[in-house]
Amino acid sequence: MRAYLRFEMRRVVRDPRLMFLSVLGPVATYLIFSGWSAGDRLEGLAAPAAVMVGLAGYGAIAGVLTVGSAVSQERASGWLHQLRTTPLPTGHVVAAKALVGSLTAIPPVIAVGVAAALQHHVGLSAGRWIALLLLMWIGTAPFALLGLAIGYGLSPQMAVPVTFLAFLALSALGGLLAPAAYFPDGLRSLAHALPTYRYAELGWRSAAGHPPTASGLAILVAWTAAFALVAGWAYRRSTARR
Amino acid sequence: MFQCRFRAGTRFRPLGAPALAGRGAGHLSRPTGYSRLCARDRLLRSVIGMNDLAVRLTGISKRFGSVRAIDNLDLAVERGSVVAVLGPNGAGKTTAISMILGLAPPDTGTVTLFGGSPAEAIRAGRIGAMLQDGAFVAGATVRDLVELARALYTQPLDTDRILDTAGLTGIAGRRLDRLSGGEAQRARFAFALAGDPDLLILDEPAAAMDVAARRAFWTAIRGYAGDDRTVLFSTHQLHEADEYADRIVVLAAGRVVADGTAAQIRAQAGVRDGVSLDQAFLALTGLSTATETEH
Repeated sequence: MRAYLRFEMRRVVRDPRLMFLSVLGPVATYLIFSGWSAGDRLEGLAAPAAVMVGLAGYGAIAGVLTVGSAVSQERASGWLHQLRTTPLPTGHVVAAKALVGSLTAIPPVIAVGVAAALQHHVGLSAGRWIALLLLMWIGTAPFALLGLAIGYGLSPQMAVPVTFLAFLALSALGGLLAPAAYFPDGLRSLAHALPTYRYAELGWRSAAGHPPTASGLAILVAWTAAFALVAGWAYRRSTARR
Repeated sequence: MFQCRFRAGTRFRPLGAPALAGRGAGHLSRPTGYSRLCARDRLLRSVIGMNDLAVRLTGISKRFGSVRAIDNLDLAVERGSVVAVLGPNGAGKTTAISMILGLAPPDTGTVTLFGGSPAEAIRAGRIGAMLQDGAFVAGATVRDLVELARALYTQPLDTDRILDTAGLTGIAGRRLDRLSGGEAQRARFAFALAGDPDLLILDEPAAAMDVAARRAFWTAIRGYAGDDRTVLFSTHQLHEADEYADRIVVLAAGRVVADGTAAQIRAQAGVRDGVSLDQAFLALTGLSTATETEH
């Protein structure tokens, strides 16, 4: 299991597209757009800190979804079959994939955090930075599962556009790009039901020094369970084939 | 029996596999049960029963929709032998191999590897396989791939020896998605070989290799096999089966239409010795309905 984890980590580190999408993208977006709303208070924070959390979450989800849905290519190329001819248990393959995927959430959070600290002097206590980082990592669980559901459920031709659409829709409607506070009422209620908003909420509240809300956690856990069910179903279907 | 075990170190023909010869003493102490018996013991065992079978397929069938991919196939492969599975496209070679590996369950019949299930043999690290599909993973290097395989098996070969045997020494640092077809095939061979498995299963292993690579590949295979290591490979290349296999199994329409040495296959097809095996093959698979009635 450890050897396979190491193998997968190396692959992720060597993938420049992932770096571009999940780290450079949100950092650039932050540097350009975070000035616009700088006077407002959003999600209980000064706007530069709130936008920082939103874009960090955006980058984290980009990485996590990309790694999970790449399973689709590994399935199609025969790599997963190849692994099944070795003593490595298939459960370990899935677990390692989910873990490596979720670890890609960490660089964007750090990078956007550094950008916010430099550009807008966003300052949090060390404890709040650490809480923020941990929650932004653990909170990617539903997205890791969604990525695996796409990866095990769809062909590579379908997995790429579906991942992209799901990513854009969830992050835009969840208020990661433009704050949900600026949304009309109907859209705002929708945002509050989405896992992306509730994921970022973990960050917003921890940056403000508050614990997560029970309702927010409940919604996040419900999405996690739903994506886990779909991922499990897609996984079983993919191994039964051929 | 201990005498036999100590002979294991010299099992490789000196001409056959310089790359593999003289492996460390480590594998002598490997607790593999019956898998390291010498030839005399195997002879005894074959008298006693079928414990010396690496692969046993009993009445397996597999359908894909209306297509009968495998039709009541029986096959037994003895330990220490090199067996080629020959057949035209659609004969069921790849399907049979994925059932042997437990990747696809047969509709009916049973698959046994070393007396147990495929899953047991795989979990015990006794199987190395080279599948036909690409198995490309972007971002990993040849060395990453070999190191991964070595870590998954309990008694792997040395990294340098694996790279040397598979002809990858100069390109160990290259990424898998930047290999040519032949190089990728050699990388997959390295992956299959790394764990020092008792049974190597190769699905059209040399199809994309150039002449020199192909020659080196088969030399390595011959060096690996023998004593108690078993190799089962499928191929379209009749001369490969002719030159490198102890035994040839000809499949057509999911059934065995001929089984034996190259000479026996020629005799069965009614072509002269020395005539290319191609003619025997065409005769056998072309007349498969006629030959089937004999079985």
